[in-house]
Amino acid sequence: MNKTIKTALSLLCSAAAVVSFGGCGGSASSGSGTTELKFQTWNLKNDKFTGYFQDLIKQFEKENKGVHIKWVDQPADNYEDKLSTDAAANSLPDVIDMGPEAAYTLAGAGALLNIAKEEPKAKDQYLDAAWQSATFKGPHLEEGTYGLPWYLNTGPTLYNKALLNECGLDSNNVPKTQDEMFANAEIFGPKCGGKYAMTTGLPSIQDFGMYGVPLMNKDHTKFTFNDPKGVAFVQHYVDMYKAKAFTDEMLNTSNSGESKSFNSGSQVFLNGSLYSIDDMKKNAPKVYEHMGITSMVANTHPNMMMEMITVNANSKNKDMALKLAKFVTNSKNQLAFDKKANVFPSSKGTIDDPFFNPSGDDMNAVGMRMVAKQVREGRIWGPPQFTAVDGTRLQEQIAQALQGKVTPKQALDNVVEYANGRLK
Amino acid sequence: MAQLSHRQRKGAGSASARRLNPDGTYVHPLGANRSGVIAPWFFVTIPILWILIFSLLPFLNTIRLSFTDSTLLRPGKFIGFQNFVDMFHDPHFITAMTNSSLYVVCVVPFMIILPLILAALVADRTRIMGFFRTSFYIPVIMSSVVVGLIWTNLLDSKGLVNGMFRALHWITKPIPFLTDRWLLLFSAMTITIWTGLGYYMIIYLTTIANIDPVLYEAAQIDGAGAVRQFIHVTLPGCTWTMILISLLSSMSAFRVFGEIYMLTNGSGGVGGADITMTMLIKNEGTGINARTGYAGALGLVMFFVLGALILFEWFLESRSSDDE
Repeated sequence: MNKTIKTALSLLCSAAAVVSFGGCGGSASSGSGTTELKFQTWNLKNDKFTGYFQDLIKQFEKENKGVHIKWVDQPADNYEDKLSTDAAANSLPDVIDMGPEAAYTLAGAGALLNIAKEEPKAKDQYLDAAWQSATFKGPHLEEGTYGLPWYLNTGPTLYNKALLNECGLDSNNVPKTQDEMFANAEIFGPKCGGKYAMTTGLPSIQDFGMYGVPLMNKDHTKFTFNDPKGVAFVQHYVDMYKAKAFTDEMLNTSNSGESKSFNSGSQVFLNGSLYSIDDMKKNAPKVYEHMGITSMVANTHPNMMMEMITVNANSKNKDMALKLAKFVTNSKNQLAFDKKANVFPSSKGTIDDPFFNPSGDDMNAVGMRMVAKQVREGRIWGPPQFTAVDGTRLQEQIAQALQGKVTPKQALDNVVEYANGRLK
Repeated sequence: MAQLSHRQRKGAGSASARRLNPDGTYVHPLGANRSGVIAPWFFVTIPILWILIFSLLPFLNTIRLSFTDSTLLRPGKFIGFQNFVDMFHDPHFITAMTNSSLYVVCVVPFMIILPLILAALVADRTRIMGFFRTSFYIPVIMSSVVVGLIWTNLLDSKGLVNGMFRALHWITKPIPFLTDRWLLLFSAMTITIWTGLGYYMIIYLTTIANIDPVLYEAAQIDGAGAVRQFIHVTLPGCTWTMILISLLSSMSAFRVFGEIYMLTNGSGGVGGADITMTMLIKNEGTGINARTGYAGALGLVMFFVLGALILFEWFLESRSSDDE
């Protein structure tokens, strides 16, 4: 009797193990000839987007008989940790939504498909700036494009006209470049320094890019933003800090209080987004009354953020996974998604759709036209090799330079040394 | 019966080691019968496996990692003591070690003394004292997020404290509680003490409850007031608890994370000047680009520092018991 029970239990355990292992990893082909693909998005299963993805999947399955898509969505927090754990366990889904920084790391670990190699013609379908940003080179990987560009996002600069006038600045002639912004800070400081903040806090690596500082060497093996132009850029911030053009609290690197400060009417400029306009209208109507809108303040090209759709290099159904990635990021599907999410397309020509070029003089329409223009001209400045920890170090060192603990040159040398060390 | 006799004979032959139960089964040399030997193992196997899998093996793996340049996705290669050499050239490590050590030095004395005074004050079993005991314990059960929000709003440049001081014309510009390195560290220490008071107070209350009331009566007859009773009866009665609390609080002070993380929005203060050891390990050892080798080395150093702290307190404990 005991032996029978033991045998039954063993069989049950074996069956459970087989079933659980079947659940791990990406695609599977069932005996009935159905191909199952696992498609993972990041924080998009909600009232706003679920319908869109269900229709998208239905359409793909209809066009590709015998393919079944299993859509999984991961919560917003710790998404990159989840990706790295899956990659380490070789259980990444077949088609995955992620940003360039995570894609660069996973590509370096051999986890993502080099699409430029598999599908060289795909390049023609996307904006050059977007394709370039999905193309990685560096010390640990073969040069290639490790994902298809999906959506882009960028935003206008918002400003408070009443504060500009109070602080001796011309609200009809707001700065268009970072150099003009620094010149404005010299006027702002003596009049309003300490009372209001002129702009958002410490600069990020993207700000260095917009200023025209060379961020990396040609083969992307070293960071170079500690060159004289980079040092001059930080020196401008030191001068702004001395003129009290921004508050001490903005030196806290992760301080996300900038919009709070703008909403409360104590900050002149804000790097905003199209969301901010409606947010301001709802939550800070008094500031909204005096609010103006202009394009992103940049010496060179404005900055954009990009999301990508990548393909697992170890997928059992690479061809079908690549087909799904192309389907998700084609012009038609991008446009439908962008309209829902208020983001911008990376596929060529889609930005010319009337949706992105509305007529009218209301702030939303003006903002949309402004941002659409930025998408045509913009760059994704953040190098994927520059990790979040590098970004924190950059802001820490700049904060120390502002406080006079290190010189701007020392600050940048320290960050470059640290970031290069991580890049090795 | 014959079998019993046989067993008895056999048992008599090796009487030094074996005895018989009335039912004829052997009594195990350790004093239990056979099932009595197996049963304890049944209870301890799972905890032992748990410790092995979730504590010992990860610890050994951390030691292995600390001698490699591995990242989360690359196994890395053996680099000897390079991580430890790098660590002592890393200004963040020096800052973190200084801050965590300072935390122990400043927080622990308060954690030993203040809860004891509180416990002595609220030890009476009256209703009003029950109210105070509960009030002092509330911060212990509060979520760290809530605690962080309360204190951030209090100490911000436009917060309640600065607002009050300004209204009283005590200050003209806000006190930089959240941006000055030392003020931020001391603000975080205040939060740690505030949240820890109630917890250690409960431990002291149980000790005080075990002090013989006769000692207090005798002290009273000898003319000792409340303060003298505290010094000559309560304090000696709580010596061992004080040593225990110094051990517990110094370990948790060295591992401080939540208070500074909440006050600085996770940045570790302006220029990272308030970063602590646990924050540094978190920064280096998590995320998709985690440097697991370096983080392992940091963890190992922290382990040795905590180990040294425990040994030091054991030494103090044994010295005080020798003196007695």
